[in-house]
Amino acid sequence: MRIEFHDPSGTIAVSQPHAARVGTLDGKTIGFLSNEQWQAHRMLPLLKSLLESDFPGARVLPIDAFPQGNAEIPKDATCALVQQAGVDAVIVGNAS
Amino acid sequence: MVTFPMPIFLPESDIAPVKARKQEFYEGLTRWKLDSAETAAERGRMVTIEAADYEQALTRFNHLAISNLWGDGLPLWLPTPQRVQWILRGAAAPESLVLGKMPPRGAIVTVEACALALAMAGGRPEYLPVLLAAVEAFLDPSTNSDQLQAASGSAFPVVIVNGPIRRQIRLNSGFGCLGPDPQRPAGASIGRALRLMQQNLGGALPGTGAMANYGGMRYTNAVFAEDEEGSPPGWIAHGTERHGFEPATNSISLAFASGATNIRRRSAKKETAEEDALQGMHRMADFLRTPNLHCVPGWTDGTPGVLMIPNIVAQRMAELGWTQKSMRDFLWEHSKIPMASLTRSGSVSWIEVDSNPATRASLQLDPWPIAARPENLILTVAGGGHPTNSYWLQGYSPAVVGRRIALPSDYDKLLAEADRDLSCGSDACAVD
Repeated sequence: MRIEFHDPSGTIAVSQPHAARVGTLDGKTIGFLSNEQWQAHRMLPLLKSLLESDFPGARVLPIDAFPQGNAEIPKDATCALVQQAGVDAVIVGNAS
Repeated sequence: MVTFPMPIFLPESDIAPVKARKQEFYEGLTRWKLDSAETAAERGRMVTIEAADYEQALTRFNHLAISNLWGDGLPLWLPTPQRVQWILRGAAAPESLVLGKMPPRGAIVTVEACALALAMAGGRPEYLPVLLAAVEAFLDPSTNSDQLQAASGSAFPVVIVNGPIRRQIRLNSGFGCLGPDPQRPAGASIGRALRLMQQNLGGALPGTGAMANYGGMRYTNAVFAEDEEGSPPGWIAHGTERHGFEPATNSISLAFASGATNIRRRSAKKETAEEDALQGMHRMADFLRTPNLHCVPGWTDGTPGVLMIPNIVAQRMAELGWTQKSMRDFLWEHSKIPMASLTRSGSVSWIEVDSNPATRASLQLDPWPIAARPENLILTVAGGGHPTNSYWLQGYSPAVVGRRIALPSDYDKLLAEADRDLSCGSDACAVD
């Protein structure tokens, strides 16, 4: 006998594609969104220094240029601040 | 996303791997592409299995459930179209209605998807209205379910049900109300279905989509009925008090909890009734007065937890002059935590990093209340009619969300069929 059943994992529809990536970091403005947890206060400054060293033409904003914290990162207001700052790429960390 | 093993995230860790893998960060900003181009209809795919008979098919399905990560490790019913359609008889809304997306994976939640999960969980059509209301509440952004699903605190949804539907569908409010109970099995199936949705649609698999250290209460979550009939005169049902629903409205209230603990409430020797009541109240307040930080996310608008007391205790205390309000006020007042205790345990820093300015400002208070106001504490009558214990579902809940339960037009027929199938027990007859 053949028995048919519904796939329990459902379906996913990607309705909001991820932002396009920049071609290069040279000459770009790079920002950070930090939740200040999981050693972000050490790891993100290290990344900032690495970016500044490897891409001297890039403008790397301070870690605290935008509101920090898990609850602040996804807010529309934070997103607006990032856009207003002319950021081309942003690093978000650290995941909890 | 650039991922690292957990040790790098601990205090004073070696963060050299960040430098060693810097190229991954650069490529994440410049070259990364979504490795999935999934765009799909809201209806899921069908799977076919070949078997000699239904027994073998059921076995094969349960093997598939393990290998495809569809289940909770316990036996499941086959979600055949016939079974799902049977469950869908409990829906007042069209099966294709989209309720949202289940985080963190983001699969589409339809009425049919809820019925599918309930079918797998061993549910019945008359349970579906409660599940649909619970899922709606779960998906309300104010619950932060998208974060709580994935976070390490083992948060699980708590669903409190009010209204006539509690008894009609055999939902327990008495002895063993958090299950298991073969006489009143609805809560287990409803909660299990919600959990299966959290995992199968939401991707909340242990160690990947859900970092819950322990995952307690997650087989069935916590779905129970408030003991409205056993509540003292003057007590307001939870759905009415918290959400403003008219009395006797079929409704659910959903909060998140991260722990479940028994509290020894009764006094042991020759205490008077007044002493027994007062000592029990202090013992419960003492337990609530734990600097465990579970109450921080819900400090302003959510709840520090759900305190369940048996009907015999609530009634006896009412005879002694205690009211719903005076009990909650007492518990709130006496569960305040001295600032010295918060400081000693490092709890202050967790309050300082909370995103809510009002919660941060609460550090001015000494002793520190576990909620902004007494009304945030959920005090409910549930549990068997025995005076010794109360029960504390430790909240982890930025919000408490209520939803009315919508019934299909032929709901009485479903209840009659349930009586036919399950028999009409003395305390579980569907049509009163």
